Amino acid sequence: MSGSNIIFYLLAALTLVSALMAVTTRMIFRAAIYLLFSLIGIAGIYFWLQYEFIAAVQIVVYVGGIVVLIIFSIFLTQQAGEQLPKQKLGRQLFAALAAFCGLALVMLQLVQHDFVATANKAIEPTVANIGTQMLGVDEGGYSLPFEVVSMLLLAALIGCIVIALKSKPETT
Amino acid sequence: MLLTSAFLIPCSLFKLQKMWSLTDISSAIHNWLNQTFNPTWALIIEMVIAGIAVIGLFAVLGLVLVLMERRVAAWMQIRLGPNRVGPFGLMQSMADTLKLLVKEGMTPDGADKFLFNLAPFIAMMVAMLLMAPIAFAKGFQLWDMNIGVLYISAVSSIMVISILMAGWASNNKYSLMGAMRSGAQIVSYELSAGLSILTIVVLTGSLNITDIINAQADGWWVFKGHIPVIISFVIFIIAVTAETNRAPFDLAEAESELTAGFHTEYSGMKFALFFLAEYINVFIVCAIGATLFLGGWMPFHIGHWEAFNHAMDYIPSSVWFFGKTFFLIFVIMWFRWTFPRLRIDQLLNLEWKYLLPISMFNLLLATAVAILGWHF
Amino acid sequence: MFIVKYIKDVFGGLKSLLIGMRRTGYYFTHHKEIITEQYPDNRDTLVLADRFKGEVVMPHDENNEHRCTGCTACELACPNATLKVVTKFDITPEGKKKKAIDKLVYHLELCTMCNLCIVACPSDAIVMAQTFEHSVFNRADLTKILNNPGSKIMDGVE
Repeated sequence: MSGSNIIFYLLAALTLVSALMAVTTRMIFRAAIYLLFSLIGIAGIYFWLQYEFIAAVQIVVYVGGIVVLIIFSIFLTQQAGEQLPKQKLGRQLFAALAAFCGLALVMLQLVQHDFVATANKAIEPTVANIGTQMLGVDEGGYSLPFEVVSMLLLAALIGCIVIALKSKPETT
Repeated sequence: MLLTSAFLIPCSLFKLQKMWSLTDISSAIHNWLNQTFNPTWALIIEMVIAGIAVIGLFAVLGLVLVLMERRVAAWMQIRLGPNRVGPFGLMQSMADTLKLLVKEGMTPDGADKFLFNLAPFIAMMVAMLLMAPIAFAKGFQLWDMNIGVLYISAVSSIMVISILMAGWASNNKYSLMGAMRSGAQIVSYELSAGLSILTIVVLTGSLNITDIINAQADGWWVFKGHIPVIISFVIFIIAVTAETNRAPFDLAEAESELTAGFHTEYSGMKFALFFLAEYINVFIVCAIGATLFLGGWMPFHIGHWEAFNHAMDYIPSSVWFFGKTFFLIFVIMWFRWTFPRLRIDQLLNLEWKYLLPISMFNLLLATAVAILGWHF
Repeated sequence: MFIVKYIKDVFGGLKSLLIGMRRTGYYFTHHKEIITEQYPDNRDTLVLADRFKGEVVMPHDENNEHRCTGCTACELACPNATLKVVTKFDITPEGKKKKAIDKLVYHLELCTMCNLCIVACPSDAIVMAQTFEHSVFNRADLTKILNNPGSKIMDGVE
């Protein structure tokens, strides 16, 4: 086993173990922190694959954005350090079943799909190439989906502003 | 492999004067290790050397910056500053470190012990990760990655997690309030810091730190890029002062309101780690600022004045880098000991009503300048 | 107009920040402005401000004579009973009895250096000294007798 493999298994173990801890712990803040480690593990795997851009975006979006948001909502809603009540057995079973079904679906796809090696030369995952691909309008360009996603974000922004602008009802 | 191609790459790019440089030393070590051991072991040994070097740099920086801060503070307040321990008080920070080392590191009873003890290490680890892409001298860089600048803004966003973690796990109202304030502050100021970094990325056309430095061979961006770069430089300095939680943006600590904010409950070495991480972060953001706006290790060059440029090349690149970085650190300390602390609403007003719109407009201006070629 | 006001705000803010930084920058570069006293080292050359008040003393001249008539004006003026005048009666050469002080007891531990006794004294017998190293191992040592043993009132002070 080469050093590269060892690093991969370490990262995979970090991701999986902390994901498992995130769903089994009964302290909600710890769950958020374990989720954070799981996401960092995934970013580590991207780094291991030398997709540095994707890894950095993973950290910016998930670690710097979403986990911080989750932690903020915990701060604003929860009592400090209190344990959540234990879930009913039926719920636990159902959740395990749902997770297993999802895993089975993904694995089925992976096993059934035969990966054909492409003859084309792989595009270097540099930022410049990613940028030209994203905004490319010729074949293989992602201009339309990129713009659609930006419309979605714009809609979300405007929605936020509308919610924030909602004036309080007059109390007189 | 993660670091194979990356560790201590000699950058071959610019024909500067042939002079004594750190590149020779690092490549000599690299070659010797590769001849003596097999590549995997050579890599592991190189990683260990890099780790020890980074930890050593941390220790030295901590000692120097704490002393520097106290001296600067004293002189700005018409005081003398530390002058009792050792000659001119130079051993003061050593004595402080010794005191912190032998103090008991307590964990409060009601705290979430695991997270409480983890938080200072996260702060330290983030600081260490941020050291990776910084070019300390010509060709002396741990990891010259493709996305250098993006990596830095990504990893520095983990910094807030350690503060939130410490604030929550302490089970103390002051800590929690400090953490909340700090979270709101860092999340909002990251935006304008990122946008002002983007100005330089737009002008250079690359995220790579080496490319950015090499683009400044005929003049630093702050001179070449004139108005938009100067505006973004000012915004960058303000935003990173806020991101590192230093006065006038030290609401997370706010001694007069929250005792010590998120690290109220910390003592001994765990407190020292937070304290050290603060100074390391100041160093890192100033190094980034020096790299982006003041040319990193690039000597002071003016256009085509060959003789002048040659003369400047005789000063070693590491001296240039550390000189610029410490100048920016001094400016940030100057801020700290001049301005009063902002209230939380003033803080958010400053970011959302002033810095963010200005930096967005400025980014457009910089794009126009880059496209039309109005920079020098 | 909104935009003009906005831009004025930004530049006004920047200017005020720069004014502050100029002041601290001036202090940073001008070390002769430093006011710190390195106390135990410069004990011999220490210069205290005129307004500094350390403790109440009673000056005596070379003949061991003071100017206190024992009128108790200082005792009455003192807000927290720091001074206590103990009087006695001297026999003057003419055979008359004359009021004079036996002791002027001064409790330093009670004194707030308010200067009221000095102001009240009609014959300028007591003044404020500039001593400040008052710490002692025993509280009783803080109770002082201001007139020297065997001293007497100066001629001509009534």
